[in-house]
Formats: sequence, structure tokens, C-alpha cells
Amino acid sequence: MPQRAPVADYLDALTRELSFDRSLAHRVRQEVGDHLWEATTARGDTSIEAQARAVMSFGEVREIAGQYAALSLLRQARRSGAIIVLAAGALYIAMKGRVAWYGLMQWALSDTLRPVGKVVLAIDRAAYILAFLLGAAGWAYISSRRVSPQFDTACCTQLKWSLRLAMAAACPMVVSVIADATVTALRLLEERPPIAVFLIPLLSIAVEVAFAAVLLIAIGKALRSTLRASSLLSS
Amino acid sequence: MLKGHLDMIVLAALSSGPAHGYAVIQEIHRRSGGAFELPEGTIYPALHRLEQAGLLSSHWTTAGSGRQRRVYALTKRGTRALAEERAIWQRFADAIGGLLGHPGHAATRTSR
Repeated sequence: MPQRAPVADYLDALTRELSFDRSLAHRVRQEVGDHLWEATTARGDTSIEAQARAVMSFGEVREIAGQYAALSLLRQARRSGAIIVLAAGALYIAMKGRVAWYGLMQWALSDTLRPVGKVVLAIDRAAYILAFLLGAAGWAYISSRRVSPQFDTACCTQLKWSLRLAMAAACPMVVSVIADATVTALRLLEERPPIAVFLIPLLSIAVEVAFAAVLLIAIGKALRSTLRASSLLSS
Repeated sequence: MLKGHLDMIVLAALSSGPAHGYAVIQEIHRRSGGAFELPEGTIYPALHRLEQAGLLSSHWTTAGSGRQRRVYALTKRGTRALAEERAIWQRFADAIGGLLGHPGHAATRTSR
């Protein structure tokens, strides 16, 4: 059986440990690969022994991966925080735009829908305010954290707290979007207006749903990455 | 202690011009007279961290061997940060030099 090259083995192991961030893993593999081959050839030959020496000087895989993890995960958590604030802004504009449109079209809720609409809109308002406050708190929290040079327990705890806040903000935000969609759907089903009149409310709901979906995907990705990288703590 | 100053060391190594990771390590080795024994791999996360902080910029180039190579350079912010770090370090070194360079002065004060 042919002997595996230490540089290739090292790069495979490093890529595996960085699997929580694929684009980072790809970039690091190329960059470290260049370093290791240069270090190997600088010592005169490309033998297994020369490669092993270059790998040894580079450092332990999990320690290096841990240093990248701290940076990558903080970036993902900050991105989630920024998306929450953006989504809150988009929801606000969509809601205000829809209300202004209804006003322009003199399109009030009918007497039969008014009691239901009142309750749903109260839930919507409370959920939105809660989502905004939690999202802003989460964003402020993660933005104020310094980049840790190592992925340690303290760093992991900070990331988990920021993700908890992001999830706590995402839940009422989804409730708010559902409430908006419900009221809009009730209006549509009762009045059945021409599509030209209904296009603006429909688009505003689509914007809300899109932002909520982007937010959930970003939080899910950050959460998966953090959980995957958690294995680096047990080294 | 060295790890606490790694960012400053990397910025200083890049002050002479853009370089890829391996060249940065060689420059640190050369300018420190081989005094710092740090795992070479530690430099790369530091380069990424400094780039994310806006202190470095980077781009891919193709090395003579045909391999892809990431080259880093100081940004204006990085140059300013290095100047600030230098000034802080100079004040610190002067203060420690003053303390360690005159043991008699400290002894006189404690005997009063």
C-alpha cells in the first residue's frame, strides 16, 4: 500500500475540522497548501520526511482550526444580528406601506372582519415590538464582542447567547409575518378586489416572508456551524 | 506573552510591503533574529482576523510554481494601527527600561 503524503493528510484533516464553514475551508486549504509546499521545498526536497517537518512546524490541526472557528462563527453570528435588524426595518416599511395603500384605496375592514382584525393586529404589533427589541439587543451584544484569538469555552458561550437572542427575536418576527399574512388573506377572501388593487399588499407580504425566510436560514446556518465547531472544544 | 502581541508583529512584518503568509513568517523570523518560536500556522488566522478588522487587504495571485497564493497588504487603517501600537510599545519599553535600568533608584525610595 503506498504511503500517504503528510501534507495531503494534513490538508484533509484541516478541511474536515473547518467543515462548519465551507468557503473558509476552501480558502484555508489553498493558502495552507501553498505554505506547506513552499516550506517543504525550501528545505531542499519533497520527501515524506521533509513534508512531515513542514507539517510539524505548522502546528496542531485542531488548534489552528480553533483559531479560525472563533473568527468565522463570530462573523456568522454578527451577520444573523444584522439580518434581524434589516428584517425589522423591512417589515416596518412593508406594514406602513400596506396601511398607506389601504388608506389611499379607502379600503377599510368590513364589520364582520373588524373584531378578528383588531385581535390579530394587536398580536402583530406586540410580536413586532418584541422581535425588534430582542433583535436589537442581540445585535448590540454580538457587535460589542471582541474577536477571540482562540475558540474556547468563553467564546462558545458568547456565540450561543447571541444565537439564543437571535432565535428569541426570530420567533415573534415569524408570528408578526403570519399575523400580517392572515389579515391580508382575510381581506382578499372577503373583498376579492381586482389584482391591480391587491398587488401592493401582496408584494409587501412577499417581502416580509422573504426577509423572515432569509433570517431563519442565516440563524440555522450559524447554529449548525456553532454546533459542528463545538467538537473543537473537546481537544 | 508573544500571542498577546501577534497582531502587532504581523502588521510590523507587512510594513515593508505586501507579502504572502510564508513570506510574513520568514520576515518575522529574520527581523526578530529567530527569537520567536511560534507554530507557523498561527499566523494565518491572525492574517484573516486582521483582514476582517480592515487592517489588511488581500488578493489571490499565481506563484511561479503555478499554485494559488494569497497576498496581504497593510491598509491605511492598518498603517495607522501599527503606528499607534508602536507608540504604545515605545512608552511601555521606556517605562520598563526606566524601572529595570536603575535598581538603586527603587532601593533608595523603599529605604525612606
